[in-house]
Amino acid sequence: MSAVRLRSRSSLAVSALAPLVLIALTMAIGASGTPSLRGTVITILCEMIVVLGLQVFVGNSGVYSFGQLGFASAGAYAAALLTLPAAFVALQTPGLPDLIEDAQLGALGSTAVVAVACGVLAAIVGLPLMRTSTLAIPISTFAFLIVAYNVIANWDRVTGGSGGLVSIPRTTGIVSAGLWAAGAVAVALAYKWSTGGYRLQATREDEVAARSLGIGVTGERLVAFALSGMLCGVGGALAVHQSGVLAPTTFYFVASVTTLTMMVAGGARSVFGAVLGTIAVASVNEALRGVEGGADVLGLFSIGNTPGLAAIGVGLILLATMVALPDGLTGGREAGELPWLGRLLGRTPVGDLAAPRFVAPMGTQKQAAATRAPAERAGALNARGIAVSFGGLRVLRGVDLTLRPGEALGLIGPNGAGKTTLVNVLSGFLAPDAGTVELDGVDVGGRSPARLARDGLTRTFQGALPFPQLSCLESVAVGAMGVGARRGKAVAVAAEVLARLGLSERSSHPAGSLPPAEQRLLGVARTLATNPRYLLLDEPAAGLNEAEGEELVAILRGVLEGFGCGILLIEHEMSVVMSLCPQVQVLDDGVTLRVGAPAEIQADPAVIEAYLGSSYMEVANA
Amino acid sequence: MTELAQNLIDALALGSLYALIALGVTLVYSVMDMMNFAHGEFIMLSAYALYVLAGVPFGVALGGALATGVLIAVAAELVAFRPVRKADMSAQLVTSLAVATILQNVVMAAVDARPKSVATPSVVSETTQVGALSISNLEFITLGMTAIVLGGFGWLLYRTRAGLAMRAAAENFDMARLLGVRADPVIALSFAISGALAAVVGVLLVMQTGQVSPTMGLTPVLIGFVAVTIGGFGRMLGAVIGGLLLGAASSLLGSYLPADLLPFRDAIVFSLPVAILVFKPQGLLGAATGEARV
Repeated sequence: MSAVRLRSRSSLAVSALAPLVLIALTMAIGASGTPSLRGTVITILCEMIVVLGLQVFVGNSGVYSFGQLGFASAGAYAAALLTLPAAFVALQTPGLPDLIEDAQLGALGSTAVVAVACGVLAAIVGLPLMRTSTLAIPISTFAFLIVAYNVIANWDRVTGGSGGLVSIPRTTGIVSAGLWAAGAVAVALAYKWSTGGYRLQATREDEVAARSLGIGVTGERLVAFALSGMLCGVGGALAVHQSGVLAPTTFYFVASVTTLTMMVAGGARSVFGAVLGTIAVASVNEALRGVEGGADVLGLFSIGNTPGLAAIGVGLILLATMVALPDGLTGGREAGELPWLGRLLGRTPVGDLAAPRFVAPMGTQKQAAATRAPAERAGALNARGIAVSFGGLRVLRGVDLTLRPGEALGLIGPNGAGKTTLVNVLSGFLAPDAGTVELDGVDVGGRSPARLARDGLTRTFQGALPFPQLSCLESVAVGAMGVGARRGKAVAVAAEVLARLGLSERSSHPAGSLPPAEQRLLGVARTLATNPRYLLLDEPAAGLNEAEGEELVAILRGVLEGFGCGILLIEHEMSVVMSLCPQVQVLDDGVTLRVGAPAEIQADPAVIEAYLGSSYMEVANA
Repeated sequence: MTELAQNLIDALALGSLYALIALGVTLVYSVMDMMNFAHGEFIMLSAYALYVLAGVPFGVALGGALATGVLIAVAAELVAFRPVRKADMSAQLVTSLAVATILQNVVMAAVDARPKSVATPSVVSETTQVGALSISNLEFITLGMTAIVLGGFGWLLYRTRAGLAMRAAAENFDMARLLGVRADPVIALSFAISGALAAVVGVLLVMQTGQVSPTMGLTPVLIGFVAVTIGGFGRMLGAVIGGLLLGAASSLLGSYLPADLLPFRDAIVFSLPVAILVFKPQGLLGAATGEARV
């Protein structure tokens, strides 16, 4: 196996150690200060765990949740009830089952129980919530926060109602809070760099492209949501064991905005950002809270009793971040990826994009010999009688299509003929009104794009749809992860595909920084990493110049021979179609006009009439 | 029978109020794809105008509330939302959350964290006997205001040039701009109208409760969000229907829920939309935007 890695060892070490160093510094400041400062630091460390929980979901999915504090609240109540002495419990919450009333776990035991319970709760809550659309999740998580608050505030017999709970054992010390925070950092980083984490990040970067690579958006979000709920619950449990008191409003709206601000200020995509943002915002918050009750500032001016001052400060930080620094203090990077820290440690930055790209004409490579056993070349993608209407517009009116592994089929036709619609149907993005799609003899009607990708059918889009924040290596590795490859295998596959397509030099560049032609090529590379048997390419040469077009043809020929997959090629650039495809299918106005060899197609008067136009013949004959 | 009629009228009145909130939220969403959390604070600040203007004739105070709603909305757009207009929807939502937090706490710092009572004309709190039904004048006012606002809104959208520009912007802003619709005035106008709608809601809430508080906008804006979500993002009619449904559900649950479940009414009301969204992820009328671009 090659030695290619997603990130260098030194970058990895810095990324993992930097947040821990910050936590250790925070602990040291707290331990050496007054008891009041100590308490504040413990509170901040607990908040940090909640913010890390928030980051796990929001940072990786790119979907905001306003409901994670509901899990912190649930965790805090559970931890309080599990540790309150039975006599206190009976007094405050008479309706509690005996099992919990009598339970009097220690700090560690209760926190562990809470972690599991909140993870399960978040998974149950997330099951319906994650099924709603990307737009609706922020709203429905808000709704969950209100539901959680309403239940806690009114379930008097179990939660003590709006009055809350008192006399909760104050067992969270600075060491335990710091260790739990360090653990939360480890969990957040491990998840971010896991295959599941990468798959979720791909959905953040481009949901549609991610689905086409085999990634089930709902499922990936649900995993992160449950993990996030777990961490938030732990943060809540530790916080309540610091303050000793708990009310339904402790983890409600204000806390939601505060933790959100901490995450955003640091840079939502970054675990280091969550740690940094928590410390920065909490410091401002605490300073302002100190003068809320009235104070003289450096003897210069005095502030009267001003409730809400700290919250105004938090709001201003959040607003300023969103307007001026939307990626936060870290720019969404982990510590090991920060350019200034890299320079400080004497590491060379990522190679210059202007450097010439190594081009490997694939058709000439010996290693491009068939990697797929001949037996696997059996079977076919079969579409029969596909019909699609948009309103009154009949875009497809009974189209048949057959694609075999190892073959290239050109799909041409004038604009509006229904080519892309047909690809949308074949790849599962669009349900046809009529007709069947069979994959190797199995009816795959109704299967999701992600499922089809795992079944061996994937596609590209007219747009490149890159994952801008992921490196090229990560982008391609995600393709392999989407169909179930483990990380090491996925990286090896990605490195090989990038090498074959001549993109190795670009491995560590963010995909979003590539020029358009290379982004298109990267789009093809991503799909190849899913090891497809059937590959649907929607105008891959659009926007490429002649030389790039020729390079693409060479690459696709290599793909045909090397990967043995069937290629359906939608293309307006006739030279690409004619030189690559032994068979061409012509669509016009939603029906198949003709299927045949390029020469026959070019000579067919009906095709010329419909698509190529009469002037084509003149040009061709000239 | 009488009781049922009475409950239905209560449901309709609350639904109307919620529809007005949802309309204000969806108007801004439809032109700039932003769920505006600060809409609740537009409502709250309009209500505080009535508190500040205590003592002046009530009609003047109403004018002050309306002006406050419009001015705050336009100012917020200018200062906070214009710089993030190009950002994605989540970033805009978070920005509006920041604005809401600032406005809410400025009022808390400047006035008080505790609720303040506001006197309203006594006619508001009286009831009128219609046959066997006793209908509070506030319900008449709410229903009347809703009818006027919906009528005026329909006229504005479908009978004026500005309305045409707004509808075009709601359909496809980039295309509308290419065809000569200027972005800034259209967005400013929709914020102004949204602020006016918030003022109407603020006044109605003060009439209902007789008090103002810094956090009074929180529940209304979340109701507006949920109504817009279940109605279908960016659908004006969907927002009205979503608001009516949510208000009616809340009101009817208040009438018919067993006593020991009554405290959990909000929990049930806010769980309903999720149930709807699981079966209809794009809302009842389908989202106007946000479909997968393939």
